[in-house]
Amino acid sequence: MRTDLLIVGGGPAGLNAAYKAASYGLKTIIVDKWFSLGGQLRQQTQSYDHLPQHFAKLRGYKLADFLIDRLKPLDVTILEKHTLIGAYSDGSVGVTNEKDILPIDAKNVLITTGAMEEPDIFPGWTLPGVMTAGAAQILINRERVLPGKQALILGSNEFALEVAAQLHDCGIAIKGIVENRSELLCQNEKLIARISNAEIPIVLNGVIESAIGKGKVEEAYVNHNGNNALYDVDLICVAKGITPILEPFEVMNCDLIYRERLGGWLPEYYGNFETTNPSIYVAGNAAGITNMGGILLTGEIAAISAVESLNAASTVQIKEEKEYLWNELYRIEYNSVLEARLDVINELHNEKDAQLPPLVDSLNGRLING
Amino acid sequence: MKKSYDVIVIGSGVVGSSIAYHLSESKSKEILTIDKDFPLSGTSGSTQAWVWVHNKTPAWYGELNMYSAELYPFLERKIGDVEYKRTGGIAPFFSESDRENALRLAEKQAEVGIKVEVLSRDEVLEKEPALSHNIAGATYSNIDGNVNPFRLIELYVRAARKNGAEFSFYNQVIDISKENGMFKVTTQDGEYFSNQLVLAGGPWSKSMGKLLGVDVPIKQVRGQIIVTEPLSPLLTHTIGGMRQADNGEVLVGYSKEEVGYDRRSTLDIIQDTARMAIDFVPALEKANVVRCFSGIRVMPEDGFPILGEIPGIENGYIAAMHSGITLSPLVGTLMTELLVDGETSIDLERYSLKRFNTIQSIG
Repeated sequence: MRTDLLIVGGGPAGLNAAYKAASYGLKTIIVDKWFSLGGQLRQQTQSYDHLPQHFAKLRGYKLADFLIDRLKPLDVTILEKHTLIGAYSDGSVGVTNEKDILPIDAKNVLITTGAMEEPDIFPGWTLPGVMTAGAAQILINRERVLPGKQALILGSNEFALEVAAQLHDCGIAIKGIVENRSELLCQNEKLIARISNAEIPIVLNGVIESAIGKGKVEEAYVNHNGNNALYDVDLICVAKGITPILEPFEVMNCDLIYRERLGGWLPEYYGNFETTNPSIYVAGNAAGITNMGGILLTGEIAAISAVESLNAASTVQIKEEKEYLWNELYRIEYNSVLEARLDVINELHNEKDAQLPPLVDSLNGRLING
Repeated sequence: MKKSYDVIVIGSGVVGSSIAYHLSESKSKEILTIDKDFPLSGTSGSTQAWVWVHNKTPAWYGELNMYSAELYPFLERKIGDVEYKRTGGIAPFFSESDRENALRLAEKQAEVGIKVEVLSRDEVLEKEPALSHNIAGATYSNIDGNVNPFRLIELYVRAARKNGAEFSFYNQVIDISKENGMFKVTTQDGEYFSNQLVLAGGPWSKSMGKLLGVDVPIKQVRGQIIVTEPLSPLLTHTIGGMRQADNGEVLVGYSKEEVGYDRRSTLDIIQDTARMAIDFVPALEKANVVRCFSGIRVMPEDGFPILGEIPGIENGYIAAMHSGITLSPLVGTLMTELLVDGETSIDLERYSLKRFNTIQSIG
């Protein structure tokens, strides 16, 4: 198969990129390893507040439907249940449906494989009933299965609190949100108010010492300020943050870099979201953990870079698109994330002695000057 | 860490670690082994780890491998269980015309004491029923086997440490020079001095040699290996190209590519390897491949080990070779003899770096 743009990962970043690229006439293929597109949006029932101006406020799964539906009239081939498994020496990419291997010869490849949840390890962490917050969310919102009756949440970032609130709404008693630091990581006031209204206890300076039970979680010891308390729970949701998925970038031989603020290791990339391997782009959470607005916008910026590389739009159009997208990113993305992102971009441009796009350069200045 | 040693070994792969261990046995030398990474992060950790003898030619080279294989049972008694298994080795051939070559191999190897049998198809299938019925026959020897490289190198290092040898990992060597008759090894973490120096850098031997102004004619050859899901017991022997590990995974690899130090796997080779595996063992058609890895093998220009003194560098030694896993017990032993007594129980003349005639002396 030949294509202008191959997108690996059909979550929000990939879907949004596909729309933008195909709108400019690029022949586009999306491969996704699941049986339906939408990625993590599939089980997000909350609405997103800080979306780019060209998006209406929508609940996550509705946003997924919107992103998928608008691809229908365009030249976008969708390969569900296909996984990227390697690269051929001539540069084409191999995807498999676990039966055959299909070589795809793509002029550009955009990898939007997102992130994975970080585990937390304590005695008993392999017992059934211990799961990531994301897994619990899939169970309630997608599979319509209650993962337990009484739960502890480990971690206090925005996602942890969101899932705690959703589990609570489903009738699960949240016995506590356990955070080892002395303050909540989540800074979303509305969400904190929801937790507090639901009378969910917050255990700061706390750690789960162990989970115990016969064949499944029945109790958990929580160490709180040096005192051990026994909790009667059958569900422990671990929400210790997410980190970019790296395997596709290793397969494609992209150089990696470590940035704590962006979720750990991630591929290095230029201001046009191209990695160190020419014509391989990255966007979404794979390019550093960000919010939904950042995920959508980076997908679009990468798509515009592919459009530009194939001369599929006029210079003026491309300039306008980029200006709008970068300004929106500046408006929507948390400053600390954007700063870390620009730092990655600056460093690579410096290292390779490549000129920084003027827009990115001006953002550097705007961030410094507030 | 001290600054001055009797011996510095550069490289803690299977060869360097074995030399350090064997040198440490007498507890009479102060030894430091330096590695730019961690043991098993390079060539020694990305191998099928055969202890393979029977079709290595010419016979004198096969003999060297045989002596080393014979040392494994004794090595295990000294350093612990390295999961050495003498499974017997089968090298199948697919056409009758190969039988002539097989018989000649058996004859030549017999002259040095390597017992090689030439099996008919039925005899092979009796030994290893999973092999394809398309094979014409095989050469077989009970001397061949395999080992767990992770245990092997860890136990070399552990035993050496117990004997007082020191190791410095994640410490790249930047420069080597001579000062007042001693080697000065400049590393990322500092300077170390020694009376004797052993280069055991595997695929990095060439760049290491350059630090001494010596050309080490080795090539870096990539081998790509695929690993299947754990399968019920299928193969009992070490077979040309594949073996089944204790946990049921089958490891397969045939490829040889000169692509520099590039450890990527490529789908072309992975698919070719899988196809060849099915040619040998049809039952593998249903097996899933769960991972693959590449190793950069060391290949001296003429294929034979480079062992012994470095010409023109007094007290400088080198050990660079393919088949480091098979040869490590013997190479450790011989290099120890050379460093301690100045002579070896097996003549190393034909393995000397001198044979390449491209040596430039240090400036």
